[in-house]
Amino acid sequence: MTSDLAETTKRVRSVPGQPDMWAFVLFETLVFTAYFGFYLFYRARSPELFLHAQAQLDLRIGVLNTLVLVLSSWSVARCVQSARAGAYGPALRDASLTALFAVVFLCVKVSEWVRLSSEGNGFDSNDFFTYYYFLTGIHFVHLLIGFVVLGVVVYQLRSPARRDQQLVETCATYWHTVDFLWVLIFALLYVVR
Amino acid sequence: MSQRRTDGELILLWTLPVTVVIWIASFLLFPGFNPPMSPTMSAEQVAAFYRDPAHLPEIRYSMIVFNWFGVSLIPILALIVLQVRRMAHRTPIFSYALLGCAAGSPALFLVANVCWLLAAFRPERSPELTQLFNDFGWITFTILVPFLIGQSVILSVAIYLDDQPRPVFSRWVAYFNLLVAAALAPAAFVGVSLSGPLAWDGVLSFWLKNIAIAVWIVVMGVAVGQAIYRERAEDREAGDQLVSA
Amino acid sequence: MSAVITPAASVAAPPSRPLYRRIAWHWRHDPKRELWLAWWMLVVFYSLFWLMFFVITRVQPPPQPAADLAAQVHYFRVRHLGIPVGFAVIFCIGGMIATNNALIAYSMRRMSVSPAFAYSYLIMYSLSAIPGLLLLCIALIVGTLRPERDPEAISWLYDFAFLSFDGTMGVFLIGSLIWMLAILLDKNRVFPKWFGYLNLCNGLTEVVVAPCWIFRRGVLAWNGQIAWWLDMVVFGVYTGAFIYLLRSMILREDFGTGPLPELKPGRPDPKAAA
Repeated sequence: MTSDLAETTKRVRSVPGQPDMWAFVLFETLVFTAYFGFYLFYRARSPELFLHAQAQLDLRIGVLNTLVLVLSSWSVARCVQSARAGAYGPALRDASLTALFAVVFLCVKVSEWVRLSSEGNGFDSNDFFTYYYFLTGIHFVHLLIGFVVLGVVVYQLRSPARRDQQLVETCATYWHTVDFLWVLIFALLYVVR
Repeated sequence: MSQRRTDGELILLWTLPVTVVIWIASFLLFPGFNPPMSPTMSAEQVAAFYRDPAHLPEIRYSMIVFNWFGVSLIPILALIVLQVRRMAHRTPIFSYALLGCAAGSPALFLVANVCWLLAAFRPERSPELTQLFNDFGWITFTILVPFLIGQSVILSVAIYLDDQPRPVFSRWVAYFNLLVAAALAPAAFVGVSLSGPLAWDGVLSFWLKNIAIAVWIVVMGVAVGQAIYRERAEDREAGDQLVSA
Repeated sequence: MSAVITPAASVAAPPSRPLYRRIAWHWRHDPKRELWLAWWMLVVFYSLFWLMFFVITRVQPPPQPAADLAAQVHYFRVRHLGIPVGFAVIFCIGGMIATNNALIAYSMRRMSVSPAFAYSYLIMYSLSAIPGLLLLCIALIVGTLRPERDPEAISWLYDFAFLSFDGTMGVFLIGSLIWMLAILLDKNRVFPKWFGYLNLCNGLTEVVVAPCWIFRRGVLAWNGQIAWWLDMVVFGVYTGAFIYLLRSMILREDFGTGPLPELKPGRPDPKAAA
């Protein structure tokens, strides 16, 4: 038991959650950086086309989505804090709140996609929209994985037999990454004009 | 020695002679095998082959029967896998690898089979298209060797590493399998030429490959049959010893 | 008669040299010889694979989907010998795919999770060899067979081959997820958790490559910078990682069912008889 405790304190001193998850975060960030790199390179090649296409995007929807996801990060952080303090009821509520925010994000995103494609801006209509759907699409997939990750958090917090704090922190790290990637995508696709 | 469930294995084993008879019959029926079609035939000649009213039913029926029974070798391969599991190995890796190989060649054979059936379905199709299907079918049929080679090599190594007083298969089965693997290898080079020994009607790619496969089926059928019967005899002995103890 | 398995007492450490003596010793006495054999087959397979696809046949990196018919016909003409010969080697060694998958399936059997993971993986990846590799090699060989063939037919073979190579996604997607799940649930510490997450990255490359079925130019085409180049980098890292980790697993293997022991740093010859 004492060795477990010593191990846990050792872990807390280094990074929250598994170091392995941080390796994953780094790798995914590198991959996304490559995607952004290609985007910026090709954008510089045909700036007018990209500018014109970007104008079709509704900035307010982008801001709303960013806000929702940032709120979800806040609620998952609160969840980790509550779990650490042993307050598992509030922690579970925060986890559910995070999931709720994510669902809102998903619905807004899908409705945005539907609106854009019905206006004729589909996946293959021009280069900008290829990138737009690709980046938001791959982020969407990461968010869907995030639901599985939240499921793991809920599963852990539910029963006193589990409640592995390190695992909960690992999952939270993943969630923050999803949020972080969205902020970058938002900045690149919606804001930088 | 082994107390595993062996009910029904003899039935599966004895499907092999039936499979062999059916395969030989279909092989002889398919006009494309007797003699093997030449890759140097022009598109018009290939189209004429499929349009020939004498050939058409032979092609269709032989290929339909092959389609039904193309996979009937797999239960025998499964029996071989079960015998490999009885060998004195530290890990189940050999049986996993054999399982991984088992479906490969029947699946590729089915692709070739479907190509030939397609070519025969609408013989009035443009000759170039018929030739395309015919080419695809023949190349696939000839080149389906990778999993057969793999199976033979894995089996030889498994037999060689079977370190026990009475190994499941005798050593010569291992050497035989290596020989078969070597005999099948030239068929992989079928794309190199449209004539000569490596072409799909050539000595190496057609005759050597198909004869090697036929001999392998017969020899391994006998070998696995012997292993199964010996296993049953040993089980009975062990059972008798338990009773008398 | 002598015992079935050579008792450890009679087996000393392997001779340090010459190399062929060491190999002979391991072949005869190493209890892990099956695993090492499978691992070396893995290394040989991938080396030959890269050599055949990138150097001999030169079908990777892939050509452009947007090439016109004349360019496609020319593509096959200049490879009329390289493709049949290079792929002949692939078809001779193709059975090694089964040993590769067997070794990976074994790694899952060594874990604390159900054997269902190992069997699912084995079945999926054995199946993947046909649509994902062998059929497209056949299509390319058929493409080189008759240079006078109708260019439209050649174009069909061209598309079939290069779309199959990139676009056979499901097996690798679900297969990677299965391995990932097994690793993350495993209590025997067969693989580090970061490799579990790397499986997720590899699975996601199959999602990223999906647009290759839609685009004929650009970064998401079958030869695109994202769909091919970036995905190849991820796949290369992934393959290198699992070759290294499988080696580490074999070194640590104790043929038990509990957690695998860690490798002690600085041990003289971990491959000596256990």
